Amino acid sequence: MAEKNQVHVDPANLVFAKAMEIVTYVGIAVMIVFGLLYLFGLSSFVDMKAAIAHWHLPVGKFWHEVAGIHISGYDWFLKNLTKMDCLSMLGICLLALAPLAGILAAWPKVGATHKVLVLLFLILVVEYLFAIFKPIILPGVGGH
Amino acid sequence: MRFGRSWLFLFLSLFLVLCFTNHLMAGEPSVAEAAKEAVAATGAKGSNIPWWLWPVILFGFTFIIGIIAPLSGVGGGVLFVPLSTAFFPFSVDFIRGAGLIMALTSALSATPQFIRKGLANIRIMTPLVCVSMVTSILGGIVGLWITNAFPAGKYYITIALGLVLLLIFFVMLTSKRVEFPEVKEQDALSRALALSGSWYEPTLGKILEYKVTRLPIGLICFAAVGFIAGMFGLGAGWANVPVLNLIMGAPIKVAVATSMTIISINDAAAAWIYLAKGAVLPLIVVPSVLGISIGARIGAKLAVKAKPAFVKILVMGIMLLAAALNIIKGLKGLHII
Repeated sequence: MAEKNQVHVDPANLVFAKAMEIVTYVGIAVMIVFGLLYLFGLSSFVDMKAAIAHWHLPVGKFWHEVAGIHISGYDWFLKNLTKMDCLSMLGICLLALAPLAGILAAWPKVGATHKVLVLLFLILVVEYLFAIFKPIILPGVGGH
Repeated sequence: MRFGRSWLFLFLSLFLVLCFTNHLMAGEPSVAEAAKEAVAATGAKGSNIPWWLWPVILFGFTFIIGIIAPLSGVGGGVLFVPLSTAFFPFSVDFIRGAGLIMALTSALSATPQFIRKGLANIRIMTPLVCVSMVTSILGGIVGLWITNAFPAGKYYITIALGLVLLLIFFVMLTSKRVEFPEVKEQDALSRALALSGSWYEPTLGKILEYKVTRLPIGLICFAAVGFIAGMFGLGAGWANVPVLNLIMGAPIKVAVATSMTIISINDAAAAWIYLAKGAVLPLIVVPSVLGISIGARIGAKLAVKAKPAFVKILVMGIMLLAAALNIIKGLKGLHII
């Protein structure tokens, strides 16, 4: 009976789901664990009291007041990975990479069965990479 | 009776949180001005609320949103963003950043299960995401640009958010979900991409097959929805589901699952814009994600017993209230009222 109700799911879908799930779990764990350590007062890049005093400001002014920096890109947290809040940001980056991991993992399986989807996957990956690298290669576009 | 009491508790909790946050700002011309005055008066120490209370308030606030969201079928972000904008002192930039990460986390957690059950399918998701990802990135860029480039930009964004909420309110008011729409014939593009699938429906005890159609119209709709979602940091389930269900003919469960998959990819792409601008603060995001995740688990259990009509009215009421508050706040900021 159980076999009768078993739905056939395309192997590409299953690979996509598995890869996405693994990266999501790792990302959530990193974000929460280091985020809580930050909230409990371990070393931080952004002082919590200063952040609370200025978090009413637009993001550009906030960073100017709190850290005296102009932020455009990812180096502000990637260069400070000994700080708990920056490590928590790394977890958020992993979450934002989870669907890309799923797409890349499923790509070979998709290529074997759905040729049109390969082209659409390629477009997706290019769009994704543009989203990631746009702040680095075109820092002024769309920013202030 | 017990169920009635739990609803009363939920309502009272939400009411208390909103009253408390409103009390913190009472009697001030605007939240931002109040915070500025506090900073000026106390140096960098901020308002008279102990710093550690903010994560606790955020946790409680998002915990309640987490309970309500699964009951109502909307993502947590669509409640978090407008209510936080109306009641909390954070810049709308940080609220949108947090809302986006909350919506992303919820969608990423749900998507693998939906795919394994056959309810979500990458063949249906991929063409729609190809379009909406571009527009959601553009939305994120435009939203941050407006608040930073213009002195009054944040007030325009707040008013626009209120108007979008009114739109969502009317979508929820007028849209009728069709559980199993009948698709007699697919359009050429949908047929070429083989946009179909199957899942086991436990209420009927059998495997159901489905196919979707009108892909070109769906692509246009998803482009518009992606832009709005990226701009305001909202998940877009409120719009994705009606488009998939009523226009493209996907069964309601398939529409919800496919929408979640699309949100996970769009929000992941839009998140990079917010990360690169520093609009994602762990101080706001971590307690919010924790609160909504734990609340959503309780909400999912309550959803089995809940009366859908009551939940829908509750959420629509909150939407309408948040819409009005955001529009008033924006107009006050612009000194129009």
